[in-house]
Amino acid sequence: MDGKSILEELKEKGVSRREFIKLSGAIAGAIGLSSFPVVEAQAGSQLKVARGYKPADLVAKALATKSRVPVIWLEFQDCAGCTEALTRSQSPTLVNLVLNMITIEYHETLSAAAGFQVEEAKRAAMEKYAGQYILVVEGSVSPKDGGVYCTIGGKSSLAILEEAAAGAAAIIATGNCATFGGLPKAKPNPTGAVSVMSLIKDKPVINISGCPAIPEVFTGVVAHFLVFGTLPALDHLLRPKTFYGNTIHDRCLRRPFYDAGKFADSFDDEGARQGWCLYKLGCKGPTTYNACASLKWSGGLSFPIQSGHPCLGCSEPDFWDGGGFYQGQSAPLDRPAATVAGIAAGAGLVLGVGSAVANNQQKKNAKKSLKKVEEGSNELE
Amino acid sequence: MTVTEQALDMFVHETGGWAASQLEACTRCGMCAEACHFYQSSGNPEFAPVWKLEILRRAYEQRFTLIGKFKTAIGIEKKLTDEDLQHWSELNYYACTVCNKCAMVCPMGIDLGTLLHTVRSGLAAAGMVPEELETAVMKQVNEGSPLGMTASVWDSRLEWVADEWEVDIPRDVKGADTLVVFTSIEVMKFPTNVAAIAKILNAAGEKWTVSSIAREVVNFGFYEGDEEHEKLFMRRLFDGAKELGVKRIVVTECGHAYDALRFHAPNLLPEANDYEIIHITGVMADLVKSGRIKLQEGFFDKVGTVTLHDACKIQRRGGYIQEPRDILNILAPHAFKEMTPNMEEAICCGGGGGVIAIKAADPIRYDAFTLKIDQVNKVGANMVTMTCSNCRLQFTECVEHFNLDWKVTGLAQMVADALVE
Amino acid sequence: MNWNDVLSFARGPLFQVALLVFIAGMVYRLVRVIGLGWSKDRVRPKRSEAKGVVMSFLKGIIIWPFIPWVKNTFKKNPIIYLAGGLFHLGLFVILILGTPHMLAWKSLLGIGWRTLGLPIVDWFAAVTIIAMVVLFINRLINPVLKLLTGPAEWLNLLFVFLPMVSGYIMTHHLFFRYEVLYSLHMLTVDLMLIWIPFSRISHFVFYFFSRTIHGQEFAKHGVRA
Repeated sequence: MDGKSILEELKEKGVSRREFIKLSGAIAGAIGLSSFPVVEAQAGSQLKVARGYKPADLVAKALATKSRVPVIWLEFQDCAGCTEALTRSQSPTLVNLVLNMITIEYHETLSAAAGFQVEEAKRAAMEKYAGQYILVVEGSVSPKDGGVYCTIGGKSSLAILEEAAAGAAAIIATGNCATFGGLPKAKPNPTGAVSVMSLIKDKPVINISGCPAIPEVFTGVVAHFLVFGTLPALDHLLRPKTFYGNTIHDRCLRRPFYDAGKFADSFDDEGARQGWCLYKLGCKGPTTYNACASLKWSGGLSFPIQSGHPCLGCSEPDFWDGGGFYQGQSAPLDRPAATVAGIAAGAGLVLGVGSAVANNQQKKNAKKSLKKVEEGSNELE
Repeated sequence: MTVTEQALDMFVHETGGWAASQLEACTRCGMCAEACHFYQSSGNPEFAPVWKLEILRRAYEQRFTLIGKFKTAIGIEKKLTDEDLQHWSELNYYACTVCNKCAMVCPMGIDLGTLLHTVRSGLAAAGMVPEELETAVMKQVNEGSPLGMTASVWDSRLEWVADEWEVDIPRDVKGADTLVVFTSIEVMKFPTNVAAIAKILNAAGEKWTVSSIAREVVNFGFYEGDEEHEKLFMRRLFDGAKELGVKRIVVTECGHAYDALRFHAPNLLPEANDYEIIHITGVMADLVKSGRIKLQEGFFDKVGTVTLHDACKIQRRGGYIQEPRDILNILAPHAFKEMTPNMEEAICCGGGGGVIAIKAADPIRYDAFTLKIDQVNKVGANMVTMTCSNCRLQFTECVEHFNLDWKVTGLAQMVADALVE
Repeated sequence: MNWNDVLSFARGPLFQVALLVFIAGMVYRLVRVIGLGWSKDRVRPKRSEAKGVVMSFLKGIIIWPFIPWVKNTFKKNPIIYLAGGLFHLGLFVILILGTPHMLAWKSLLGIGWRTLGLPIVDWFAAVTIIAMVVLFINRLINPVLKLLTGPAEWLNLLFVFLPMVSGYIMTHHLFFRYEVLYSLHMLTVDLMLIWIPFSRISHFVFYFFSRTIHGQEFAKHGVRA
């Protein structure tokens, strides 16, 4: 971290020119540059991409001139699953290569040091790279009750986040907890968990949702930031459109079975063995925007639906409260309790009986007055 | 108390769960319109049965439902007015024979005829019955018959019939099995029918009688919808029957009288169920079937083509669908041809329900009869028979009005003509 | 606006409220109607009333309107008869034999059943929508229906049409994102559920009353129902 460019560092590690160009191409692919000039769509980008540009060249130029990006990684109410997913991805991979482009200055799970030394290191890094570093947040923040439910070194999660966010160039929220509150926010949300984007309004926030986030998506975003110095185009939930533009359902390999109306009824029936659609088993694919069905997991090996499990919708807000995991998506979120339904029926009954009593009284009165008229007319005769 | 309130009171009084559930079931699909001969012949959408019923629905909603009360309170739904009643009085008395064909086609199966009768009850309570009909009713109240058949007229007419056609008409025979009650239409306008029925019953050796108390089977209170009048006229019949101690009452060729006596009386007067109430068509079919009378087979084959007009109250509402056909198949096995639609789906003559008694309704009535003309002409019949004198009156009048060359007759008369003595 | 929140709202609290309004409203109407009292019918029936009722339902459910029993009225307006019949047939096939709807029933009633394949249900849906359009046009041009149709009738059509169309578009993933369409579908379903007790769509309950009465009456009068 002494002003060397990434290219220089790679050269020191013995990466050849040919390998470097290949790497540049791979990264360009990860950002989505090869298929689509995303850069045009992004907000605030100064870059004008000419027609017929070569994405790999663009990346190579950036790698040759820019130095590694400092990263501070905070964990709050989380399970470190996103970290696990990122670090345990197959090696050597694109992820590894991209991780070479960043320096992680602070990470509780990965850090060898602990206690006040590591906190001191974080403070120093924040000072040194003020305004330059990327802040990655994993896990939800708990501001409720003065933040007592999640503290590190005596500071509340909210205080830590605000302090670190102040000097960040951009904030990446990774995993459903940091992006939308995740499991900690599930009803009844005892810790008052909230997402990063609901707290930080003055810095660019990018959400890489999922439980965990797909490592390739994370690295794609980092690479984009590295190459262009800006964040990619985002959807209404601040997720990069490149990866969250389609639903799982749209890209699902079982989609033809859905269209044909062939569904697995249980996990061990013939339909399940034939690889039919898992809609009836509770698949949330139609409303879930993520790249699982195209990028897949474990180095492109498979993803939940492919291996026979319905999508849980983990990249969407409040997916824990979005109905049972194994309940068809068309079902209402929950049925009214028998007592409530009973009360409603009772209310109808009371109203009905009330009306009936009043109506029968009307009928009696009508009969009386009809009789009176009859008698009146008889008297006249 | 305004007339509208009286009508509303009657609607409220008459509407129970039976009527309410059907009013609630109506989806306002308008299919009943296509069944109504008055709508078909005139194309006037107000003649749709559901629209004739509208006044009852409005009364029901305004008086019985929370939503209706709310709607009336904020003015979305207009309260019923005297003008409304006048308008619906015309719709119901001028352009409805209560023939109940609408109930046949209703996808919900709503029994519109009965509900329309309730509408009449409300209108009657409000005194909104057309003048001519009301005059006829009062005539029946005071003189015993809407056609002016007082006791003495009845007496002399029957005497004349017995003389003229040389039949026995047993009068006030105590201990007879069967009480036969003629309609004043028959006695006054179709005396041959009286003679024919007498001839048939005598030939069968039936122990029958007529009653000087129960002279008139017609029930104009039923047309009008006034329950008290209805009961008054029925009571005369049952009083006559009780006095003579008969087992059964035979209604002669009169549709609404049979409907009133068979299907309304038991709910109005408990003594109605003491007697078997039967229509002359049923009697004749029984006599033929059991061999008590013999008919000359093919007696009417020579007249050309005979067709049967199904009366709404005797066939569709009375169930005598097969009986007249059985008889006609003996009388005219070759000449007898069916109209379409027929049986319970038949098109009504257009004169029932008191319509024929109302002068102002004449154009509507003649209009409706054009459907019947088409039907009969399609079959090419030159003789039309029926089991209802009201239909026969309408046919006779319309044949004259339209200058048609059909012979209009009654089934009993045909049977009497073809009797093997 | 976040459509996921709308969807959760429409599938969750709003649906519950709609269902409760529906239950309360329908119970009220039923009790009110039954509570008006039923007088005993002392007329001796000419035929078996039980048989008449059975026939009445058979005719009403199975035959109508595919085998026109009142021929001359059918002939006058066959398209409307067919549209009405196909609309109801399609509606029930979709609601009962459509997989997504079956799952909704299952979550409410606790029992599930076999369903028809999507392509088949899809055809029914298309036919149902076309039938609704035909009925809509008929309401516009038929003189009797012009007289009978007020705001309530138009709203009835609208409140049934909207869920139908949104559901169809949603199954085909057309025009909008799935959760948007799903939200619209659920919102319109909720609206319809709330509307039913206030409207004549509730004829599906009173149908059983009027059909029974029809069977009884016609048997009583000795005529086949």
